[in-house]
Amino acid sequence: MTLLTRIFWLALRDLTLELRGRTGLLAAVFFLFTMLLILGLALGPNQGDLRKAAPGVLWVALAFAGSLLAGRAFGLEVEDNTLDDLLLIPGNREWIYYGKLLFQLLLLLIVGLVLLFLTAGLFYLPLSALPGILVTLVLGSVGYASVSTFYAGMLARLRGREALLPLVLFPVVVPVVLASVRATASLVEGLPPGEVADWWRLLLVFDVIYVTLCGLLFPYVLEG
Amino acid sequence: MSQSKRMDILSLTSLSLGLLSLGIGAFLAFTAPPATEQGHVYRIIFLHVPSAWVGMVSLFVAVVYSILYLARGKARYDRMATVVIEVALLFLSLTLISGMLWGRPTWGVYWTWEPRLTTFAILLVVYIGYFVVRSAIEDPELRAKASAAISILGAINVPITYMSVKWWRSLHQTQTFDLTTGRSNFDPAMLPALLVNILALSLLFFAFVRIRGLLAERESAKQELSPQAG
Repeated sequence: MTLLTRIFWLALRDLTLELRGRTGLLAAVFFLFTMLLILGLALGPNQGDLRKAAPGVLWVALAFAGSLLAGRAFGLEVEDNTLDDLLLIPGNREWIYYGKLLFQLLLLLIVGLVLLFLTAGLFYLPLSALPGILVTLVLGSVGYASVSTFYAGMLARLRGREALLPLVLFPVVVPVVLASVRATASLVEGLPPGEVADWWRLLLVFDVIYVTLCGLLFPYVLEG
Repeated sequence: MSQSKRMDILSLTSLSLGLLSLGIGAFLAFTAPPATEQGHVYRIIFLHVPSAWVGMVSLFVAVVYSILYLARGKARYDRMATVVIEVALLFLSLTLISGMLWGRPTWGVYWTWEPRLTTFAILLVVYIGYFVVRSAIEDPELRAKASAAISILGAINVPITYMSVKWWRSLHQTQTFDLTTGRSNFDPAMLPALLVNILALSLLFFAFVRIRGLLAERESAKQELSPQAG
């Protein structure tokens, strides 16, 4: 089995389990919906204010959902005691990280899409900029998922990881969230493409750095 | 107690040399010509820029120790990385405070959500998180590995903070020394005071790290003798 198929199968297995169980995804989406309602109540009802807040709301909500879902990548492995089986498979361990990253990314994209349409409906986020927003969503999710998967793996066997994970995760991914918010806001305001491209380039740089560094460091922190 | 566990000549020399050059630096800073626009207020730069430089560069020193720990697995490297980050946080806090004191008379506010200030605040939070994680993990090996990972990932914020004034031009002035072009944006008449202060703070940093490292070594030795005591 080549490395790529291994990564792909691991992600597919986790995604199947997740969709079959449904509890994690449903809880995350429901949490987001409640959060959007509260934010809408707090910021509304002026339509202009809501539209201005929409990009920030979208990304903050996605970041929260991301930290809720981050534990899922290794949660089942720890619950079912299958993490050791994964570690026993011969060869490098980087592939475990990339498989989990792919799974985390897919989850985040599913939730992101739902969230995008919820924000569009509740916060008047104009969908005319949809292609650009989707690009931002993918780039931002890769950056977010890369770090969250890494930390989730590192803290997997720890008690109190649910509280610890967002604490270490958020400061590191703030640049990603910031660049994503700015890119989305530029798109919504209809700024020239050059300005949006600058933020995309920055996101891409983050993605490449985080994915490579986390992949390299992962085998070290997993053993513990 | 063995010789290695006492304060050595190197620490004492760099401590006294650091204090001496800090005095010389202060003298040069106060005798440098006043700035054309800011008058005497600008003199805070002689503390602000050196502490920022020493603090941020030392985060890369911590990265080196973190990588060494991951590669060799010796507890000493983990201890040194932590000590370096501890002292670096001290210098970075000094940067933040001096920057705020400088911001009030020149910008009218202590704090503003401006790219350099925001990225710098994020940098501080990452390294404060470093110590939160350390206190939360009991298993020493995992603690050391997790710390090393946070230190390596967190250092990505250093170049972002450094370049932020160039990428998003706003209130904060550009770098004093631009590493991308190798040029200094500083008046030659004011340069000696700045360079002497950078030297002074570097020497002090070195001394602090050595002294704190010694303390950390003693602490861990004590803990090994009686684990309950710690």
